[in-house]
Amino acid sequence: MNIITKIKSIFVDKSEKISKDNSPSESINSELNRTSDFIEEVKPVQSEPDILEEDNPFSEPEPIVRRVIRVTAVSDNLFPPKDEKVLIKAQPSTAGDQCLFMVNRPLFSGYSWWFPNFESAEGSALAERLFSLEDVESVLVHESTLTITRKDKNLFDWKPFAAEIGANLRDLLEEGGSLILDKIINEMPSQDIIEEGIQKAINEEVNPGVAGHGGLITLQNIKGNTITIQMGGGCQGCSSADLTLKQGIHSSFRKFVPQIGAIFDETDHAAGLNPYF
Amino acid sequence: MPKLNKFRVRLETGTNGTEEPARVSFNNHLLPLEDLSGGTQPGETLEGGYDVNSMCHSMSLVGPENGKWSLKKIIVDFECENTPSYSVEFPAVELDESTEVDIWKDPPLATFDV
Repeated sequence: MNIITKIKSIFVDKSEKISKDNSPSESINSELNRTSDFIEEVKPVQSEPDILEEDNPFSEPEPIVRRVIRVTAVSDNLFPPKDEKVLIKAQPSTAGDQCLFMVNRPLFSGYSWWFPNFESAEGSALAERLFSLEDVESVLVHESTLTITRKDKNLFDWKPFAAEIGANLRDLLEEGGSLILDKIINEMPSQDIIEEGIQKAINEEVNPGVAGHGGLITLQNIKGNTITIQMGGGCQGCSSADLTLKQGIHSSFRKFVPQIGAIFDETDHAAGLNPYF
Repeated sequence: MPKLNKFRVRLETGTNGTEEPARVSFNNHLLPLEDLSGGTQPGETLEGGYDVNSMCHSMSLVGPENGKWSLKKIIVDFECENTPSYSVEFPAVELDESTEVDIWKDPPLATFDV
């Protein structure tokens, strides 16, 4: 063995010794052993029992889901009883395009009828008289009320025009005679036929149409040929509900059952998931 | 949706009274009635109100937690902003722990004689 080999062997022996003495893995292992010894000495911590809901000051009580009863408010008599005179009250809508006229005598008992234009008024004295006024777009007769839609959508002051309508209506009622064409009354379908047709319209056309927006229309009531519906799901509280009702549902219902009159929406839109948004 | 400044209710109890305080759910928040007079025993009339000063989208009279409370008549006086005050009367109703009755009514539209 030459001198270089001898020196090398000395260095190798030394380094092996150093690495054995200071081996990191060994030091970690020894450290872990010490830790585990320590852990073994510590008693396992008992998990704390769950805090009872009634003891927790931050827990909120489960909300009680109650059924909301909706009762119809008792309405005051608009007119003094047994008044011989023809009394008429006008109530413009908030949008200003329509005005409701309430009369103290029946105009079309038990039924309603919609006159969409001048042509449809032929033979019905009431509608003929009203369409003779320039600004009348459509007329809806329901029991003892009239709803007039005017052509000019920019005029919000109904008072002069309502007075003109009132005067014509009063004259006609004082003259006496039939107000609605006999043919309309004689050819009125039964309530069952109307219900069947409206349900078909809802199932086949209306609900598939509103389903895309999560809406659902249900038939609530039929009285004569007057329909009451409820708008649910995405339609309830939707700001476009009125537009959907007037432009979509009305035309669809009238396509399936041309003899239907007034269509009312009894939805509580304020109770929708997102009212008025 | 009008702003309701304050309301006052008159609750006429029928045959079943209640020992519990009358509560109103306003926009789904429970309110106690203030400035109370009268009672909720059979035949008694309770009057009370609340200064809400908030937009109103729902208002209901909440039934008692225990037993039944039959109401013969409910009259609510509303004072909304920019609207003349108005009263609404509701017919007889029976309430219990699972029910509440809707007592909100929008201000009436202006009406005139023609």
